Amino acid sequence: MLPKRFDQAKPFVTLGVAAVAWLLVPAVVKRGLRLSFFEMRAPVAATASFVHDLQDFWALRTHSNNDLLEAGRQTAGVLAGYELSVQQKDQLQAENERLHELLNLPAEPGFRFEHARVMERDFSGWWQQLTIRKGTNYGLTVGAPVVSAAGVVGRVREVHAYTAVVELVSSPGVRIAAVLEGDTRPISYQGGDNPALGPARGVVDYLPVDVLASAAAPRKLFTSGLGGVFPANLPIGLLTSVEPSADGLFKTGGVQLDPGLASLAEVTVLVPLPAAVAPASAPP
Amino acid sequence: MAHPTPDLPPGQLESRQGHDPHVRFFYFLVAGLLLLLGAGLAYQQLFNSSLRQDQEVFQSQRRILVPGPRGNIFDREGRLLAGNRPRFAVSLSLDDLHAEFHREYILIRNAYRANDDKNLPSADDMAQIARATVVQRYLDFVNQALGRQATLDRKALDLHFRQRLLLPYMLIEDLQADEYARLIEQLPVTSPLQVYAASVRDYPFHSLAAHTIGYVSANEGASPDADFPGQHLTTLKMKGSYGRDGLEKQFDARLQGETGGAIYRVSPAGYRLQPPLEKRTPVPGHDLTTSLDVDLQLTAENELEDRMGAVIALDIHTGEVLVLASKPGYNLQDFVPHLSQAEAADIYDRGAYLNRAVSGLYPPGSTFKILTSIAALRSGALTPDDLIADCQGKVVIGGHTFTCDNGEGHHGELSLRAAIAQSCDIYFYEAGLRTNKINPEVLAAEGRRFHLDRPTGIELPGETSHMIIPDPAWKKREQNNEGWFVGDTANMAIGQGFVRLTPLGMACFVASVARGEVYTQPTLLHDPNAPTQHHESIGLTIDQRTAIVGGMEDCTLTGTAKILATPAFQIPGLRIAGKTGTAQIPGKKDVAWFICFAPLEDPQIAVAVAIEGDVPGESYGGGMNASPVAAKVLRVWKAKQSHDWHSVTFPGP
Repeated sequence: MLPKRFDQAKPFVTLGVAAVAWLLVPAVVKRGLRLSFFEMRAPVAATASFVHDLQDFWALRTHSNNDLLEAGRQTAGVLAGYELSVQQKDQLQAENERLHELLNLPAEPGFRFEHARVMERDFSGWWQQLTIRKGTNYGLTVGAPVVSAAGVVGRVREVHAYTAVVELVSSPGVRIAAVLEGDTRPISYQGGDNPALGPARGVVDYLPVDVLASAAAPRKLFTSGLGGVFPANLPIGLLTSVEPSADGLFKTGGVQLDPGLASLAEVTVLVPLPAAVAPASAPP
Repeated sequence: MAHPTPDLPPGQLESRQGHDPHVRFFYFLVAGLLLLLGAGLAYQQLFNSSLRQDQEVFQSQRRILVPGPRGNIFDREGRLLAGNRPRFAVSLSLDDLHAEFHREYILIRNAYRANDDKNLPSADDMAQIARATVVQRYLDFVNQALGRQATLDRKALDLHFRQRLLLPYMLIEDLQADEYARLIEQLPVTSPLQVYAASVRDYPFHSLAAHTIGYVSANEGASPDADFPGQHLTTLKMKGSYGRDGLEKQFDARLQGETGGAIYRVSPAGYRLQPPLEKRTPVPGHDLTTSLDVDLQLTAENELEDRMGAVIALDIHTGEVLVLASKPGYNLQDFVPHLSQAEAADIYDRGAYLNRAVSGLYPPGSTFKILTSIAALRSGALTPDDLIADCQGKVVIGGHTFTCDNGEGHHGELSLRAAIAQSCDIYFYEAGLRTNKINPEVLAAEGRRFHLDRPTGIELPGETSHMIIPDPAWKKREQNNEGWFVGDTANMAIGQGFVRLTPLGMACFVASVARGEVYTQPTLLHDPNAPTQHHESIGLTIDQRTAIVGGMEDCTLTGTAKILATPAFQIPGLRIAGKTGTAQIPGKKDVAWFICFAPLEDPQIAVAVAIEGDVPGESYGGGMNASPVAAKVLRVWKAKQSHDWHSVTFPGP
């Protein structure tokens, strides 16, 4: 018969045995379990997201017919403008391709646009990420850039069967080769150490010492296109402060990001086309 | 053979009663050893604790020193002559790869064992292979990302691992902008591979004022301040730089930044544990504003073209050096990050290491006649209006025939003013001989009075101190006890013979003459509030000074430098007082000289030009070759004074 004291300690022993067993489980199994958990949880989150969309739909249904008609007219006007822009863009693209061919230049990276609804938002001091309602079922790939009407949103960090996790541009894990408006020198943009509910900010390094910017006179920051991941000229944010770096070689600066990042409902994933120049595979 | 165990009740052990005297001995032995152990422990704790603590710290802590960036060097108008530029590299933190190295090591060991390989390498060798394999994988990734084919230097890797583990290992250096941009975007933020920016010297104007600015070389890292803790710790230094020549060397202490760094605790294997125990940010060095004027310097160097020589321009009032050019030169960018052997050999072969402005020793030729005039006038051997000689092209002095090499050789009777303008040798032989009659040392004494026998003390390393103002004592000392002859005086009077001076010395001399004083202290540091220098007066009467300065102006109008009066070189509104010289060195190339100051009525700038001829023995006159260079410098100076000049604001090609 076991001593009474052992009976009392049984839960702790069990916990300890479980912990040891978990430690002994191979890493592959652990990763499989984690992914399975995510995949199993995904339908629940997706359902909640659809319900939320339905709520929005019924909320919009409360608008009067006159409002809807007015909105429709405005949308038609905007669409007409877009249609014109698309035609111009097609012409410019054709001209661009012709010049590329003429000059024997390598083809520029091409992308397929995949629009996706935002399913979940997860903002913390460690990371800032979104979960979107598309995954491998739409051919999304890890590392693909994600954009919205306001500019860069982030990069796809994980891709699951029906969902994908996007690391936001405000997250410290995202780094982009950027340029300032009117300047061709590449600089390094990185997400900042952002509080969960505070305004999103980023930081830039390797700023040339002659760069000036302030909150009163901010400079626009764009993707450089040199990094091989993001296409050029996508807005990132506004450079609102600069200060000399410790080594005196460069300046560092603070970047104010679009406040709309925290309330995005829809994003576009730029899925690299197979013919495009693919970035190097992940480092070992 | 085992003893049979007596039958005992279950659960009871055999026990012995009483004391065995043999066992008692062991009691004492164990007690004694324990006592010894305790005493040893007490000794270590009470008397050796500080030593052990020091050893523990020494073994477990490492200090990393990072040199501060060097200060910048500017010209007088704030244009950058020497600065720092980032040099991007992709580095690998071996320190973060401990686990990967170990995993690779296990894989390699297991592979050898599985193959039952008889030639099993030692553990050290396998660890080395494991490290190289892991690092090669990272290098392959970088090569793929950049489209390069860099290879791994295994020896360098091994050396780095053993000696500089805590410092980043450079996989590829000198990345182009698009390359580092690519890596910034493609490397995960937490990867041990990172883009690394080091500071290297940058000379935006490339070869401009190369000898003056100087260059730097890499060193093993600067020493930290005395109050930087951890002097006794094992210290790893990031490479720094130190001045090797020119201003970079002269003001090295001022330009050097303040060393920063950190002290880390390390694991027994030498890997870093975060966060650092102590951290200090490096501080950039102090900037240096030189007196050089990029516009004038560029003009002087362009005019020198590929000839050998030097041009110096001084602010007459302050002694600030506006131009200090020496040719042939070299491209300072070639020294970054280090000079290749081929480039070093090329510089050496061209004789370009020599700063001819401060270390080139030449006979001053006829430019010395200004000093001869002053000496003769002050000693009473001459008056301005004396027609002391009738130049017929040659004269016999001390049994030797001396010729007049200037003009057509028949100047006839000349006053001092005309003699200076026409640079008549016969006149100055006679002037020198007249001083010789008073005292053979008159000329030398006047030269010493003008400080021509010693270095100027300009803030540059390597200024020669071997200039020669000969006198009887010097000749006796240096020429095998030989006596001083009248011919020596005659030669000296026209700046030939033993006289050897530097272009900078002559620039200071003509600046002093312009100010009416005997000394000008040159400086390469710009001070916008620098006062006018004041030294001993030359001591000439107004008539005497008028004769000399008038002769110098006539020289540029109708005399040996009359080319300056031609439309190509004339500078409207600027009166120039100058003196040409053509120094001859037997068996060697002539040296074309021109010294001058301007404006004549209010002297502000002094220029000295010395250019070596092309062919030994071939005449290379100062009027035709040196004075146009000075004229171009003066033209730019005048244009800047009149605000009619677009200054160079960015580096040339």
